[in-house]
Amino acid sequence: MLKLAWRNLTNEPTRMAISVTGIALALVLILVIAGIFAGSEEFAVAYIKNEPAPIWLMQSGVSNMHMSSSYIAPELITEAEQIVGVKDITGVLYSGGNLESGEDSILGYIIGVDPQAEIGGPWKLVEGRQNPERDEIVIDAELAKRLGVELGDNLSLYDQDHEIIGLSRGNFGIGSSLAFVNKQTLSEWMAVQPDAASFALVRPEVGFDVDGLAARMQSELPDLNVMQQAEFAASDKELIRQMGVDIIRAMNIIAYIVGLLVIGLTIYTATLERAREYGMLKALGANNARLAIVVLGQALISAALGILLGVGVAYGVATLITKVSPDMLILIDPAYVLNQVPIMAVVTGLAALLPASRIANLDPAIAFKA
Amino acid sequence: MSAIFEMESVSKTYGKGHVAVNAVDHASMKIEPGEIVLIMGPSGSGKTTLLSMAGLLLKPTEGRLLIDGEAINGKSESQIADLRLHTLGFIFQAYNLLSALNARENVEIVMNMAGKRGKAASQRATDILDKLGLGNRKHHLPADLSGGEKQRVAIARALANDPQLVLADEPTGNLDSKTGEEVMELFCHGMGREQGRSMIIVTHNPEFERIADRVLWLEDGHLSNGNGRRQH
Repeated sequence: MLKLAWRNLTNEPTRMAISVTGIALALVLILVIAGIFAGSEEFAVAYIKNEPAPIWLMQSGVSNMHMSSSYIAPELITEAEQIVGVKDITGVLYSGGNLESGEDSILGYIIGVDPQAEIGGPWKLVEGRQNPERDEIVIDAELAKRLGVELGDNLSLYDQDHEIIGLSRGNFGIGSSLAFVNKQTLSEWMAVQPDAASFALVRPEVGFDVDGLAARMQSELPDLNVMQQAEFAASDKELIRQMGVDIIRAMNIIAYIVGLLVIGLTIYTATLERAREYGMLKALGANNARLAIVVLGQALISAALGILLGVGVAYGVATLITKVSPDMLILIDPAYVLNQVPIMAVVTGLAALLPASRIANLDPAIAFKA
Repeated sequence: MSAIFEMESVSKTYGKGHVAVNAVDHASMKIEPGEIVLIMGPSGSGKTTLLSMAGLLLKPTEGRLLIDGEAINGKSESQIADLRLHTLGFIFQAYNLLSALNARENVEIVMNMAGKRGKAASQRATDILDKLGLGNRKHHLPADLSGGEKQRVAIARALANDPQLVLADEPTGNLDSKTGEEVMELFCHGMGREQGRSMIIVTHNPEFERIADRVLWLEDGHLSNGNGRRQH
């Protein structure tokens, strides 16, 4: 019966192509949208993941960098520095701000870094230097391209010109553009003490157990929240995911419906056209279950080919888009792709229900009608 | 020897009340093993309805059908489908081949449905097609076969599961006279009459009378059996 399903499909290549393409497009839509969100999540936590600080300190009650405000008083940083096992602590300030160049403007996340600090600044400098003094700024090379500026040009931030002294990589993505300025300057704009911080990056002494040190810091600094790097990145990622989850879900539902309709309609019309043949098979002794296998087989073969094509196209689209527009990282997670397979199988099964029920109601006596 | 097929006072009525139409009215017949019975009659006389009931495709409104002495009444749809698959062979006027499968696969599929698979089924399909003179056409799709060739494939398919009874509806109705002669020859020799296979053939073609053991006449739903010859 599966051979008949396959032959029914291949005997009508145009209809098969429509069915397979429909599934593929639905899957491309699902994978690319999910990939865009996964890519933006990755960009959003790039700072946390790339700074060489296994432990992060923040205000008690805060567990995210995005969508939160954190303040650590200077004395708490000094207190933290005294804990055995801590090699050094780098405080950074964190705020939002508009990066403007002429008519162009991009909302960014501004990190205030001490020019003397070893960490906390851009982690991948491609041009210039990385420790901004007063009225200096380091931005991503892609952002510079987007704003039409280059090294030595000025950008306006908080109505004040900043000379671009460095261009970095990996800190400009959808909804997540990081720029690095002088910490002293940012503290004035934020109206906080220069030694205060939004977040503090902790490096332990060599050989110290990070888990143990983080636990000890948490017990000795009850006014702060102590998080390990991976935990902090995961928490921020989850926040970003939650922000996009409804959109992804809505787009996925649309894509599943598109897939359902495409498979359902193509298989249904093919079934109607072959109603006499199915009726004849019933007359010869095929039961409804056997005939349902033919219809389901056609739908599943279409879906399998559509999935293969869709996954290939989605990876191709992701590679192409990321190449053309490096700020748009599209991350297609193989596990997510695998998750789609059973869902698409269920969608396909649903699509086959209508034509299968049409066959179940066929009168086998149709075979004797001329 | 017991009858392979019996129809006991079978009627089929379409519609109800004053719009009711008796397509077949208390028809009875008994087919012995190896017997070829012709059913003839004018258009609209109920031949297709009668054949559909004989083929277990249509439930009679009244009466009883028996296959090999066993009553059909009370059997489930699935049991009836199984009986059709294993006991009956069908030949249709319009051939009704599966357009996506080639000649051999069209024959093979009914064997697959009956649980015979693999090389054995494939070899049997090839053997039957060879016997019917289609050895060099077995890989052709129905669209590439002539009317006579299609009907021979349909005959091969009807014989594939070695049925006890073959039901044929106007088997030469769509064929020219020469091809019709060839197909009729197959009904006479090559369809296993000598092995006890019975046939019910519905036809307008009087040429079939020479190969039939009996001719039944159906008119206005009434089946007559006047000394084995038609009454009109």
